[in-house]
Amino acid sequence: MSSYRLSTGGQIDRARSIKFSFDGKALTGHPGDTLASALLANGIQLVGRSFKYHRPRGILTAGAAEPNALVTTGTGGRTEANTRATMIELHDELNARSQNRWPSLAFDIGAVNGLLSPFLSAGFYYKTFMWPAGFWEKVYEPLIRKAAGLGKASYEADPDSYEKCWAHCDLLVIGAGPAGLAAALTAGRAGARVLLADEGFAFGGSLLTDGDARLSAMLAEFEALPNVQCLPRTTVIGWYDDNVFGAVERVQKHVAEPDPRQPVERLWRIIAKQAILASGAEERPLVFGGNDIPGVMMAGAMRSYLNRQAVAPGKRVAVFTTNNAGYRTAADLEAAGIEVAAIVDPRSEGEPGWNGKAKVLTNSCIVDALGGKAVSGVSIAGASGVQRLEADAVAMSGGWSPVIHLACHRGAKPVWSDTHAAFLAPERQEGLLLAGSAAGLWSIEACLNDGARKAAEALEAIGFAKVEPAFAEGDTAQRAATPFWFAKGSKGKAFVDYQNDVNLKDLGLAVREGYGDVELAKRYTTNGMATDQGKLSNINAIGILAEARGVSPAEVGTTTFRPFYTPVSFGALTGVSRGKHFQPVRKSPLHDWASKNGATFVETGLWYRAAWFPRAGETTWRDSVDREVLNIRQNAGLCDVSTLGKIEIFGKDAATFLDRVYCNGFAKLAVGKARYGIMLREDGMIYDDGTTSRFSDDHFFMTTTTALAAGVLTHLEFCAQTLWPELQVHFASSTDQWAQMAVAGPKSRAILSEIVEEDISDLAFPFMSARTVSLFGGKLEGRLFRISFSGELAYELGVPAGYGEYVADAIMQAGQKHGICAYGAEALGVMRIEKGHVTHAEINGTVTPGDLGCGRMVSATKPDFIGKAMLAREGMQAPDRPRLVGVKPLDPKARFRTGSHILSDGAAATLENDQGYVTSSCFSPNLGHTIGLALIKNGPERIGEKVMIWNGLRNEFTDGVICSPVFIDPENEKLHA
Amino acid sequence: MPDLPTSKPALAGKAPLQGVQFAVEALPEGHLLQLMGPTTLDELRALFDTFGLGGSVIRAAGFRQWYVMGEAPLEPAALRGIAGALPRGVFLSDQSHGRVRIRVSGPRAAQVLARGTAVDLHGSQFPAGAAAMTLFGHIPVHLSRTGEAEFELTVLRSFAEALFGELEPFAA
Repeated sequence: MSSYRLSTGGQIDRARSIKFSFDGKALTGHPGDTLASALLANGIQLVGRSFKYHRPRGILTAGAAEPNALVTTGTGGRTEANTRATMIELHDELNARSQNRWPSLAFDIGAVNGLLSPFLSAGFYYKTFMWPAGFWEKVYEPLIRKAAGLGKASYEADPDSYEKCWAHCDLLVIGAGPAGLAAALTAGRAGARVLLADEGFAFGGSLLTDGDARLSAMLAEFEALPNVQCLPRTTVIGWYDDNVFGAVERVQKHVAEPDPRQPVERLWRIIAKQAILASGAEERPLVFGGNDIPGVMMAGAMRSYLNRQAVAPGKRVAVFTTNNAGYRTAADLEAAGIEVAAIVDPRSEGEPGWNGKAKVLTNSCIVDALGGKAVSGVSIAGASGVQRLEADAVAMSGGWSPVIHLACHRGAKPVWSDTHAAFLAPERQEGLLLAGSAAGLWSIEACLNDGARKAAEALEAIGFAKVEPAFAEGDTAQRAATPFWFAKGSKGKAFVDYQNDVNLKDLGLAVREGYGDVELAKRYTTNGMATDQGKLSNINAIGILAEARGVSPAEVGTTTFRPFYTPVSFGALTGVSRGKHFQPVRKSPLHDWASKNGATFVETGLWYRAAWFPRAGETTWRDSVDREVLNIRQNAGLCDVSTLGKIEIFGKDAATFLDRVYCNGFAKLAVGKARYGIMLREDGMIYDDGTTSRFSDDHFFMTTTTALAAGVLTHLEFCAQTLWPELQVHFASSTDQWAQMAVAGPKSRAILSEIVEEDISDLAFPFMSARTVSLFGGKLEGRLFRISFSGELAYELGVPAGYGEYVADAIMQAGQKHGICAYGAEALGVMRIEKGHVTHAEINGTVTPGDLGCGRMVSATKPDFIGKAMLAREGMQAPDRPRLVGVKPLDPKARFRTGSHILSDGAAATLENDQGYVTSSCFSPNLGHTIGLALIKNGPERIGEKVMIWNGLRNEFTDGVICSPVFIDPENEKLHA
Repeated sequence: MPDLPTSKPALAGKAPLQGVQFAVEALPEGHLLQLMGPTTLDELRALFDTFGLGGSVIRAAGFRQWYVMGEAPLEPAALRGIAGALPRGVFLSDQSHGRVRIRVSGPRAAQVLARGTAVDLHGSQFPAGAAAMTLFGHIPVHLSRTGEAEFELTVLRSFAEALFGELEPFAA
């Protein structure tokens, strides 16, 4: 006989039916059902096949620890593999399918593995698939992965949305069973901000199973407490530093068609002043032969299905228990008219007060459950030998393990308690208290009292005045628990870890082969390594290892608890950061200007920068870039450089401060002047470079590279706040305040003169001038800098960002007759390579100023600056350090790529012969061939030397010659024009 | 081209969105001044009142830092006047174009903001007038509460469109 729905009882809405399907078969259930209870109500006990042996498996639990009833739900992009049938709230159109079976669940070819089981014991991979070595990756592993398995993920995109959210509270209560409810009620009445989260769809925990009349009154009181936020369907998944908890709320996992305006799951990050872990206790399976046959179930789960969903496990149930839980289940079964074949109890005395019909067999064990795809009976070993008993279901209870995972997520180790025969969480941890069964209390009254008391304690710790516990009465007596790890004399496979098919013999083998340490045994047998992370199996494995080694479980200890408590979808972790929302876009104030001038954009960090501006007839990017470069060197061009970092530096000590952060001098920089500066790290290597201008005695303006804008500001703040707090200096990021335009080329002065009021002749505004200027006849102010990255006569003009597009348009209009063109980051790059100017391609974290030919810039007179001490070390001054030079091909038609390495002429292409590498390269339209910058050992002493440029990745060899890194205008005549 | 230089707001073309319980609106780009140095809110208040900027709000923006914000744009001469009148050691950086203000309001405003910021927005912890530097998702913002169900987000201009885009769906 299989499981079925009772005609009366339960907490389901019988007036309404829910249609769902399992393996294509149309079925019905009721609101209040889980998928598991609905399957059982429909007589379906076989729901999956096991991982390794493909054994028929049923439903073992009624909660989050379920290792067997893993199914795939949904279709298309909503396909979700390996979901626990016990956690799925039944809903219309739910489409569930069994996994790891072929061709069907009832007839599964893979079950042949069961016959091979003598060869598939623990460690069989390591022993069996060793030779030939090359076979592992190509043959064995793919085959094993194919044979062993869970469900398959979909390749289609998930159509649903997810989100993340922050929450704050005085008290977070995790678990809404008796202890959690009592805690939340106590805190709620005291006026605290309370968050109450429970992974189930209904609050109550064991009060639901018991049908406790007090529950409805408690829930009604929460309705009237606006300071208590209830989060059902929410699993708290991790405890992190600063008392931050992660939680996943299944917002719309229980509806047929999710509302697209709502997420299906929400990841909460909860910052709690105090938290109470009232996560209850997990019932332990018993280890005996055939303990995985569909129909064998946890006693508590069986009772939960019976009382909550009116589902009977069968007609005749055998109960195997080491504690009062089995007796409670037996009593409720008998009350529902279901026969209990026997209560089998390994203790010498049964539970006091049992007055049901079923006989109690003490000093006895079920050694084997009998049957294939369903239970047909049990073998019981007792003082009088082995007897067989007919039964169609088995309820088992091996005692209780407090659910302490979260309490151990921050490194604390569980502590074994002989009294509880269980591991408990360490007693005192800042910000977290354990209450109820999670703290090792077993009766409802004890849990209610404990939850209330702990809430009062937690609130008083954060300054609440005397808090009145909501419960303080009732019988809280507690009986010591008796550990029981496995039944001796089983004939069938006795499973310890159901999901990974680890049985009793595997653990014995691990101990015999020297893997008895709990961490080694875990990895050797894979016990506890499945998606349930050993929620049911770890404690029994520890007990079995302890017994095999002849030590206490305390000595064996546990493996490490880590977040997450249960599996979390990638969707929840991703939140809204997908597709175009993967990262925010930063737009320059000249973005629209570039766009209307036809720019092709390139992502640089979060910024979109104009890369080049194609014109009609140009078919490749090189066509556009070559044209832009040639035009700038002949006429002029306008480029958006707004993305470079800009920092305003104020204060009477600003000059002293800059003198210390830059390796070159800044204290004597005149007002109205700019200077190129190099910033070192403490280790003497270059951190960043840029120009800094002085607008007044106590106001400087620093530019940084685009990539390090935020990093440099952080560095400056760090220096000011921690290294030299005595200096009066303030910083303001003004990157976004200014639309910054580089106007470069021999005609740039003529063009800007039409806009700028002031005299900008070479005499009045020489190279490295920096001043506030008046534009358009005094209608606007801007900042003009005569600086050049291209090597041409060039300026940078900054205007308040909102005016950027107007001003850029005006410059283009004024420049039309001078042949101005818009240019992008690529042309900028070509011109700086032609001129031998460096970027972070060269400033790669391993170069000193000397390596880049700027050694003379480093101040010899300043008493100190960041990097000074390390820069003086001999290794930093060694002559054979890779230093900056140019490199070009011997044959102008030949090309080479960035990243290619340099070999001495005639040397073999080996790592040992490496002389350096090409840091930047491009085609120079002015020279008509490829050029490159390179860091080469003794580089500057080797100008003119013939070398081989070797691209090892593509096996390309180019004959080249080392040359000066300045390819264009080495005398800087154009610059100073 | 127009004769007078014209400033184009970062959120030009973004109409205010009024949802059922949430509204989002770009505020006019007037003035936004960053003040730094050893002064006090009262001292700054008094100073800005003398410049006829009594309507500007002053909000804390970090240790010894304030934002002074208002709807009227300020000319460079006016800015120089204010900078010159500041107490010794206090400095002004004009951020009127560098940062953009977005107002969010409605009964769901705090709930929507909790999607992005770790700041506790409960009325007891973050009352009207409170301000904090924080993140909304990946975007740095200066968040202030201007009413029970009304907040302002001050965001770097380059991020303004992205931030508005993240808030838009909630006002649908």
